[in-house]
Amino acid sequence: MNTMNTRAKFKSMYILNFTKYTEWPAAYKQGDFVIGVVNDDDLAKNLEAISKTKKINSQNLVVKRFTSADEVTKCHLIYIAGKSAGEVEPYAEKARQFNCLIVTEGNGMINGIAAINFVVVGAQLKYEMNKALFKSQDLIVSNTLENLATKVIN
Amino acid sequence: MKRLVIIAVVLFMMIPVGLRAQLDPVSLALRAYQNKDLPKARELIEIAVGDDNFNGITKTWYFRGYIYKDLFKESKDTKIKKESFGYREDAIESYMKAVELEPQGELVEDCFNSLKYLSSTLYNDAAFALDSNNFKTAQELFDRYKEIITMTNPDMDMTQRTIEFNLYKSSKYSQLFDNPREGYDKEEMGQQVIAVYKKVLNLDSNNISANYNMAIHFYNQGVNIIENMDYEQDFETLFMIQAQVMDLFGAALPYMKKAYKLNPYRKETLVGLSGIYYGLNDIETSERYQTELNKLDSNQ
Repeated sequence: MNTMNTRAKFKSMYILNFTKYTEWPAAYKQGDFVIGVVNDDDLAKNLEAISKTKKINSQNLVVKRFTSADEVTKCHLIYIAGKSAGEVEPYAEKARQFNCLIVTEGNGMINGIAAINFVVVGAQLKYEMNKALFKSQDLIVSNTLENLATKVIN
Repeated sequence: MKRLVIIAVVLFMMIPVGLRAQLDPVSLALRAYQNKDLPKARELIEIAVGDDNFNGITKTWYFRGYIYKDLFKESKDTKIKKESFGYREDAIESYMKAVELEPQGELVEDCFNSLKYLSSTLYNDAAFALDSNNFKTAQELFDRYKEIITMTNPDMDMTQRTIEFNLYKSSKYSQLFDNPREGYDKEEMGQQVIAVYKKVLNLDSNNISANYNMAIHFYNQGVNIIENMDYEQDFETLFMIQAQVMDLFGAALPYMKKAYKLNPYRKETLVGLSGIYYGLNDIETSERYQTELNKLDSNQ
């Protein structure tokens, strides 16, 4: 039996698509494109593999794994795995100091914690979004991303 | 050798005196057989079966069976399988004809013993044919094997043997599906895997191997699609692929659940269920089976 982490690959592809339809402030369009990952080694591995061959918006992709909120540094996007707001919020709070797109997967995370939250709809991985949190991070979201979301909070 | 001499003597004695005196083709064939001249024995016995004076006699066919059985034995280890298989088929037909002519006769038991031996070689050759992915020949040999067993031992239940054969057959199709080779269409191999496992499940819906392997076949197809996905895929393609993969995981689930129901303590099944539910994004259920697996591991 093939034991690959099937969800990690789908999540990686979603995340790459999120970066295609989000615009960061000018200062973030130079240097490396940094994606932070919290509590998801398989996802981090997938993204690290991608970083060897792909660029994002002409920027080199760099993946950083954070094991505590204190470690969180400037990144374009951070994926924080965690079932409860208590687990996720410390990382999100730190990430909000930057123009960072915060992505999570958990019930209720879309209400004030994450700009994008993975949800499962009919066994398929989809996402919901909070437009206000894009705006508060000075991120511009495209209509495409908005139109494909299962739920949008303004 | 001793057996051969006894058979020859018995046969010789059984031939009517009148016929023996005329040095009929059966007697001559017998003489050639005694002299280990099988080509000559074959030539003469063919004359006998072409002659209406002899082709209605049980012993003619019985003797023909022995000649062809020995020709088969001599040739079975050569690479020319077509010739060897032909000798065997002639031997089988001869023994069957002998039994047909005298169903209650004294030679029936011996004919059946020879047929049983020949059927065992058919079964082995069916397996060899599968080893070399010669599916059509394998099926023909196996069908002939079943036909003979049904005749010689009508009370024998062939279900288990049929299941074993088909499980092996589907494993060979599965190998060709996973590692495609020239001359074998991957798509067709995949369809055959499913068809053959379904055949097994029709015979025994509680067969763990068929249930488990069917689930794995669907699951691995889904995983292969994910593995080969290009990271550059847009949302539209991503949604489409995801739906396709979920269908495959969904198809795997009932078979893996059945395998679990049949044996809840089989580790592979727990790994399978955990993986399928994880793929279906049902993390809670996936973790439940993972916990069961961990418990099983810690108890050993």
